Amino acid sequence: MRPTRALLVSSVGLSILLSSFAAPAQKKSRPAKSKPAVHLPVVKEIKTDDLVALFKRQSDKPLLINFWATWCDPCREEFPDLVKVDADYRKRGLDFYTVSLDEFTDIKTEVPKFLQSMKATMPAFLLNESDPDPLIKAVDPRWQGDLPATILYTTNGQIEFKHFGRVNTAELRLKIEEVLGARNKVIGARN
Amino acid sequence: MKKRLALILPAALLLSAFVIAGSGRSINNEIPAPPAIGALVGDFMLPDVDGTNRTLASLKGKNGTVILFIAVQCPVSNAYNERMEQLAQDFKAKGINVIGINSNVTDDAGAVKAHAVEHKFSFVVLKDPGNKVADSLGAKVTPEAYLLDANNKLVYHGRIDNSKDPAGVNSSELRDAMNLVLAGKPVEKTGAASFGCTIKRG
Repeated sequence: MRPTRALLVSSVGLSILLSSFAAPAQKKSRPAKSKPAVHLPVVKEIKTDDLVALFKRQSDKPLLINFWATWCDPCREEFPDLVKVDADYRKRGLDFYTVSLDEFTDIKTEVPKFLQSMKATMPAFLLNESDPDPLIKAVDPRWQGDLPATILYTTNGQIEFKHFGRVNTAELRLKIEEVLGARNKVIGARN
Repeated sequence: MKKRLALILPAALLLSAFVIAGSGRSINNEIPAPPAIGALVGDFMLPDVDGTNRTLASLKGKNGTVILFIAVQCPVSNAYNERMEQLAQDFKAKGINVIGINSNVTDDAGAVKAHAVEHKFSFVVLKDPGNKVADSLGAKVTPEAYLLDANNKLVYHGRIDNSKDPAGVNSSELRDAMNLVLAGKPVEKTGAASFGCTIKRG
């Protein structure tokens, strides 16, 4: 009788132990079925040379670049306004990129999480350089690396507008209107 | 009546000039340019974390002085806390003193003191109300370093080193410049910019 009881007790114990291992797996699989996986926006790595080539390019479209970081308060504060700028002007021919200066390890975590929370529509890069000084000098020798920084380039790669610190969106929009107007005149003259 | 108008009008014009100048900076974010390399940095007086007024003249080192603009909450500045303290310790005996300045309107004196205590800073930290010294030196971000030689001549202005992450440091401009000053040699790399948090001005 005793061995039978012992066998019973041990088999019950074993089944409890097994179910305790199985339980977390079940818990994990349930939300995956009911809730689709959240896809964070893609943030591409970029080097200084590629970025310099981007803003010196000749294009039919003017280019707006915003340098920012998740740890930068004024960057986060101005971001919703910049998302609106993209919504209003991309369809009218503006190319707009954001370049994050966060740590490279944040490329799949903090940076895309913030962009998602902002519903950002601009293509996003993260600068992967241990030394940001060459980029700062290439953008503007007078720039001291203060963030955010917003630069508007004409179709010829000339700087039309630059602002270091939180941008005045009304002023930025005026400048965008100007470069888009100039661009449309050129296109109109061609046609 | 004419006399009163003659007095009021210039006063009003003067007042409006101040208002325009004040609003101009906050709207356009125009910060005065930093002194040129080689320029003499004048004396200034600021309260330390205990409220005692201190001057550059009283805090300067025999062979030079480093002024570091720092912040309580900036992750970039905070990433440098240990390196700033190490610089202060390494160079104090050699006659170069480190002075920290907090010009952020968002960091009150209590927070600045608590931060200095928490990170065991052996160097003096000053509070810069109204960011007067930040304006006079054209400081924009934290951390931002100014190295003065024994005569208070600016010999280096810019970053501490190239990387917020200590593992990525391969260029230590400030330390190199301090060693050159001690050796009595000219500083060749007199500046290097780095990304940091904008100083929150009042």
